[in-house]
Amino acid sequence: MKIGLLYGTETGNAELLCDDIEEALGSGFECDIADLGDTDHADLDPSKFYIIVTSTYGNGDLPTTAAPFYDTLAEQKPDLSGIRFAIFGLGDMVFDETYNQGSERLAKLLVECGAQMVGERGLHDASSGEPPEDLALPWARSIVSLLSVEAA
Amino acid sequence: MSHKIAIIGAGPAGCYVAQSLVKASPDAEITIIERLPTPYGLIRYGVAADHQGTKGVSRQFSRLFERQGVNFIGNLEVGKDISLEELQNCMDAVVIATGLYADREIDVQGNDLKNIYGAGEISRFWNAHPDSELFQPSLGKTVAVFGNGNVAMDIIRLLAKPESGFEGSDFNPSHVNDQVSKIHVIGRSPLEHAKFDPVLIHELKDIEGLNCSLAQGDFLASSQDNPTAVALAELLESQDQSGSKEVVFHSGWQVEAFCGGKGCVNSVLVRNSGSNDVKTIECDSVITAIGFEDSGTLDRDMILSEAEGAEDGIISQGTFMTGWFKRGPSGTIPENRTDSQKVAKSIISWLESTVSDKPGKAAILEQFGHRITSYEDWLAIDRIETRFGGEKRCRQKISSWKTMMAAIEQQRNAV
Repeated sequence: MKIGLLYGTETGNAELLCDDIEEALGSGFECDIADLGDTDHADLDPSKFYIIVTSTYGNGDLPTTAAPFYDTLAEQKPDLSGIRFAIFGLGDMVFDETYNQGSERLAKLLVECGAQMVGERGLHDASSGEPPEDLALPWARSIVSLLSVEAA
Repeated sequence: MSHKIAIIGAGPAGCYVAQSLVKASPDAEITIIERLPTPYGLIRYGVAADHQGTKGVSRQFSRLFERQGVNFIGNLEVGKDISLEELQNCMDAVVIATGLYADREIDVQGNDLKNIYGAGEISRFWNAHPDSELFQPSLGKTVAVFGNGNVAMDIIRLLAKPESGFEGSDFNPSHVNDQVSKIHVIGRSPLEHAKFDPVLIHELKDIEGLNCSLAQGDFLASSQDNPTAVALAELLESQDQSGSKEVVFHSGWQVEAFCGGKGCVNSVLVRNSGSNDVKTIECDSVITAIGFEDSGTLDRDMILSEAEGAEDGIISQGTFMTGWFKRGPSGTIPENRTDSQKVAKSIISWLESTVSDKPGKAAILEQFGHRITSYEDWLAIDRIETRFGGEKRCRQKISSWKTMMAAIEQQRNAV
């Protein structure tokens, strides 16, 4: 199965987590990793499954580099039916009013455009002291097992 | 032979440039040289103790040393223990990423009075920086904070928070500012133009027992499309009347003089930038948070004036700069990441045009092996500090250079 890992990042944490997820999923999957900032929604491929990892920045916004991807979707509302994704958010409960709003807003917008969200949104709280990969890797494995069940 | 690269400074700018270099040039020998015995600079010693999530970026950097083959040499100051020229002779490329250390002072009458401190100085003290070992600020009950940026906001929050706000942090319990009851926040620009991040303003709102108000006669111009002004308006409305502490914002006041008695500051004289009115604000201490400047062992002014391509981080053939040393005191950790990625490109294109004939880190180890600290030494310190954190703290830092070196020595002998 082909998996497209997309990240939205400010400090590089989400990018690193995509590297970890690729490694954890192992050789059974054909993964590629890209920055949401370099991604055009028109190039999203229905034959792939997308795993998005994004942090939240500023006042509950997406990271600066991922903002154009979001803004274009919001403006053009393209038809993304056939696109399937799961999303994992990196947040920080110290900033509780805007906690993980970046991933929440992006997920909502993708669904509004007709994309299908698989599984629950994964969430990590940077203030928990727990390494993000401890949550994200089991999450990613459970997502791909959902897909395998579907395929069977 | 593989290229030899030295990065001076193990803070975020230096670590980000190492990250990019490792990706682009996996065969290069990369060594980060740090003045302190431990890595991560601003992440460990500048980011506020109650923002452990932000400090979590150091997880990325630990991979450099644990998995990506980058070398760490601590307790070696370039410009003091080894000259820049000596280092250049050992390396194909040298990158200066030493940041900006000193607080910019407010140059008015009375600024030599006691109990006037810089935000950087106070942050280092609160973060148990080894340079602050002997520093004992006397803040008193009323503190005047100058500045309207996020550094000032960190100071205000850490002054205002009660002990309960520091659980899970690495803030030293003996540094909790229970004695402070009033914090004046004074900014030159009107408050609606303050550079506070809205999320930091929300954080202030969440502090138990804190009243926030505007000084009498001052006002906040409301603006729905200015998130900072909106957040400030919310903060000022949400009064906790039971509060035991008070924050008073003074909007658009510039300091004219620090006034004092017996050598210590006891008030500040400020002038309104709009009406030209003057007033006196009484205080027991002052913390200035108006920016940072260089005070390092490398002559930054000269280096910048002679730089061949400052924008791309090029000082001269084989010598580069990144982070605040290059950019000046602006921009957050993410902005410096982007900039370090750009500087890494300049370095890579330089390395492509050179053939390595330099000894690299081996020469440094040969000369300084007896005194430097390694990444394994840092891991030992990290274990000790985490163990001593106890129930309410994630760690208790060793604040003394000497104690840190002694602990390292002991751990080495124990192995």
